Amino acid sequence: MIEVKAVEKKYGRKKILKGVSFTANKGEITCLIGINGVGKTTILNAIMALTPIDKGQILIDGEPIKEKSFEKITFIPDAIAMVPNMTIEEAMTFMNDFYTSWNQGRATELLEFFRLNKSDKISSLSKGNTAKVNLLLGLALDVDYVLMDEPFSGIDIFSREEIANVFTSHLIENRGVIITTHEIGDIEHLIDKVVLLDDGIVTKAFNAEEARENEGKSVIDVMREVYQNEKLLKTR
Amino acid sequence: MKLKLNNRDPVYLQIVRYFKEQISIGELDPGEEIPSRRELANMLKVNPNTAQRAYKEMEEQGLIYTERNHPSRITTDKQILGKVREELILDAVDTFVTSVSPINVPVEELLELVRDKYTTSSVKEDTHD
Repeated sequence: MIEVKAVEKKYGRKKILKGVSFTANKGEITCLIGINGVGKTTILNAIMALTPIDKGQILIDGEPIKEKSFEKITFIPDAIAMVPNMTIEEAMTFMNDFYTSWNQGRATELLEFFRLNKSDKISSLSKGNTAKVNLLLGLALDVDYVLMDEPFSGIDIFSREEIANVFTSHLIENRGVIITTHEIGDIEHLIDKVVLLDDGIVTKAFNAEEARENEGKSVIDVMREVYQNEKLLKTR
Repeated sequence: MKLKLNNRDPVYLQIVRYFKEQISIGELDPGEEIPSRRELANMLKVNPNTAQRAYKEMEEQGLIYTERNHPSRITTDKQILGKVREELILDAVDTFVTSVSPINVPVEELLELVRDKYTTSSVKEDTHD
């Protein structure tokens, strides 16, 4: 389980996270939703210890993150972090050299799944295919937790569908996934848990299927409700 | 396998209903092997945990059964299978009656309308949503 507890973070004088708390379980897909600028990426960066936090605590399976944790958790950023001149094959070798958890069998499977050509240079790929390589490099690691930052943004519908297919395949099974997005439409039926963020705090966290079952509400219905309540409170 | 999911009903219940429909129209036969949970999740583009929950619900209702290390199958229990069709029809009729009763239509007139509509709508079946 990933536990984010009362995390606060300032950039200069600007408070980005004002006490964010939520948990993400293994075997579940947790979706952080919020408009641009509410701190979604900052939270992922904080979980990965890529940015220091001012207050609060983040635990992964009960322990604070340390060097060893990076064999257990991986972060797929919204833009690929690989040398553009490398071919996909070279990028895979690079990952293999770097991580003991690299699973080449799974990487090969993902290559086929996304119909990518391993001799292609990363810089020569379309936006959609670059996003797929980015996912491949993260998902081929045998880790328990995967963090994905906006895997669907700026990608054509068919690539989005292919990426969504990953979530229902054994490539994700049993792992804990945290995904950020500002458009829920594509993945409404794929996610277990929804964490709504606004202005540096969690406004609501709920289980998507339970909202449908107990209240007859879609994820978007709940979001709209929360958003309207917020607006009311602010105008008061 | 074609199922259009809506966003407001629990997904697992939509899946259970879909299986019931397929059973009642004979698309799924008694004893027929059904996809694994993983395959179903992938086919319907739903969360694997949800597919698992749908199968658990169907197992509890006796619609499917799983023997150790074998794929799940549709039940061969005639009583249960017979009930499936009945339940679907009664559910639909109940919904219809609930929505039409406030309008106070004489039942004869209503039956006439139903007969009319039903025969024309079964011709263009693909309009079903």
